[in-house]
Amino acid sequence: MTSPFARQRYLIDYTLAALGRRRGKNAGLLAIYTLVVFVLASAMLFASAIRFESTAVLADAPELTVQELVMGRHGLLPADHLDKLSAIRGVATVEGRLWGYFYDRANGANYTLMVPGRDAAEYSVGPGEAIIGEGLARSRGFKEGGALLLVSQTGKLLKARIKSVLSNDSALVSSDLALISEVDYRRFFELPDGVYTDAAVSIRNPREIAKIVEKATLALPSARFVTRSDIARTYESLFDWREGLLVALAAAAILAFAIFAAEKASGLSAEEAREIGILKAIGWDTTDIIAMKLWEGGLVSLGAFLLGTVLAYIHVFLFAAGLFEPVLKGWSVLYPDFALAPRIDALQLATLFVLTVIPYTAATLVPIWRTAVTDPDEVMR
Amino acid sequence: MTTTPAGAGGMIELKDVTKLYNEGRPNEVRAVAGANLVVERDKVTVFKGPSGSGKTTLLSIVGCLSRPTTGRVLLDGELVSGLPERFLTEVRRSTFGFVFQRFNLVRGLTVIDNVMLPAYPLAPPHAELRERALARLDALGLAGKAEMPVEHLSGGETQRAAIARALINDPKIVIADEPTANLDTALTERFLEIVAELRAEGRTVLMTSHDPRIWQSDLVDAVVEMRDGRIVGEFA
Repeated sequence: MTSPFARQRYLIDYTLAALGRRRGKNAGLLAIYTLVVFVLASAMLFASAIRFESTAVLADAPELTVQELVMGRHGLLPADHLDKLSAIRGVATVEGRLWGYFYDRANGANYTLMVPGRDAAEYSVGPGEAIIGEGLARSRGFKEGGALLLVSQTGKLLKARIKSVLSNDSALVSSDLALISEVDYRRFFELPDGVYTDAAVSIRNPREIAKIVEKATLALPSARFVTRSDIARTYESLFDWREGLLVALAAAAILAFAIFAAEKASGLSAEEAREIGILKAIGWDTTDIIAMKLWEGGLVSLGAFLLGTVLAYIHVFLFAAGLFEPVLKGWSVLYPDFALAPRIDALQLATLFVLTVIPYTAATLVPIWRTAVTDPDEVMR
Repeated sequence: MTTTPAGAGGMIELKDVTKLYNEGRPNEVRAVAGANLVVERDKVTVFKGPSGSGKTTLLSIVGCLSRPTTGRVLLDGELVSGLPERFLTEVRRSTFGFVFQRFNLVRGLTVIDNVMLPAYPLAPPHAELRERALARLDALGLAGKAEMPVEHLSGGETQRAAIARALINDPKIVIADEPTANLDTALTERFLEIVAELRAEGRTVLMTSHDPRIWQSDLVDAVVEMRDGRIVGEFA
């Protein structure tokens, strides 16, 4: 009795020999195929990793942020609002925060200037001191121990000794950041006492956040309340949008690939058809030929999938997605320079597999089947 | 017009076989028209006739490479022309060995790989298959070229490699289409020696040929003459 395994082994032997015989054509196909998988896998891996990164970083964000709205826009929050918030049952702490943006004409970048919170002991800075983000340090050549010098639009000078440069771990949100003391902040922006940019509120029981927001809305009707999950959702949609942009770019590559697959589905070359005719004539079954071609398509598409995915992994996690950085990373002029923690979403990989390997393999089968069921004499003619 | 009536006891019987190409289209061609024939067991039969007379088409129908448009083909009394494709392949594999006019070896493969190809679907142990293929090549004087790519062979060597491939599954019937069309006199004589060996082994041989050296050979038991798709004569 014929062993199905031995039969498949013979078919694989033949398939490998066939791939070797048409190595130029197959190498070209593999290269195009790998490129498509590489672009798509890079986008998916990057977006997935960066979303995870942003979620991790935002885990330390306040549970509730309160902003004052003036004519629907973000205004300054009076200090008495902090007392009203503190009076709400279930609120643990309320802290007025000071942060804002500074446009640096020197390099055309926006920096985020911020006064560190009371709890952030490791980031505490005194008057005349600053802690800066990695991107800011890199772009202006600032170093630890050196001086941070900024001149406001009204000519106010900020001069602070750089106490430290923030690590890459939080680069996604701290790349363009400068932490300075409250005194320096108010002086630089000419901000009076008794107002804040917004307030950070911590809640005793996070499950009661909806209830507390409800009460706070009644106490401060002109304020807007942003929860941590709102911020995370904003980040998510931002990165989804960017990922979508890249996927749209990749669509061009996919379209080219689809045309290639359709061409493949429309017919075999005369040489391939004749070879199938010969194999049929000398005793190969239609199922043998289809199995052999399935192995061929499977090896090419699986090879391209694995190669494209591995290259994408290297590109994203070892080379920080250098090719897609401007499209995918951050919103600041100072792009964060940080390494993403390797992270693979199995569902995304499975989707990529289904979208690339299966259509190609199916497309190759149509003409093979058409040829394989035709009389060998007719095919060879 | 002379046709050979079908009779009992033949290994292969054709009954009112017709083959149309491009049926129903303006370029329809009637390649074989109403052929009736009996091919005897263990004999060498040659189909002769001018180009386009239907020899190759008839041989394809006999060898189950093509189905007749109408009519029946019987092999050892069993109707094979109406068999589903997978059974027809099985018949082809177990009964026939083919030597095509252009030999149709698969380029890029070695001689021995080409010879072993028809046995792949049967999946015998690899060592055994290789040994069998080498024995076939040795018998045809090609053992030394077993590992050579087929495109490096001469015309005569290519033909012998094709014969070795045709014999790998030990077929009862060997079909050869214009086997000496591209060979010189010496190689044609060598081919006839091989045919003699095949007959001596108890195989039935069917050939088409333009070549008088073939159909005038003493080895040939029957000559079937064709013209315009019809069998116009049979000579013993």
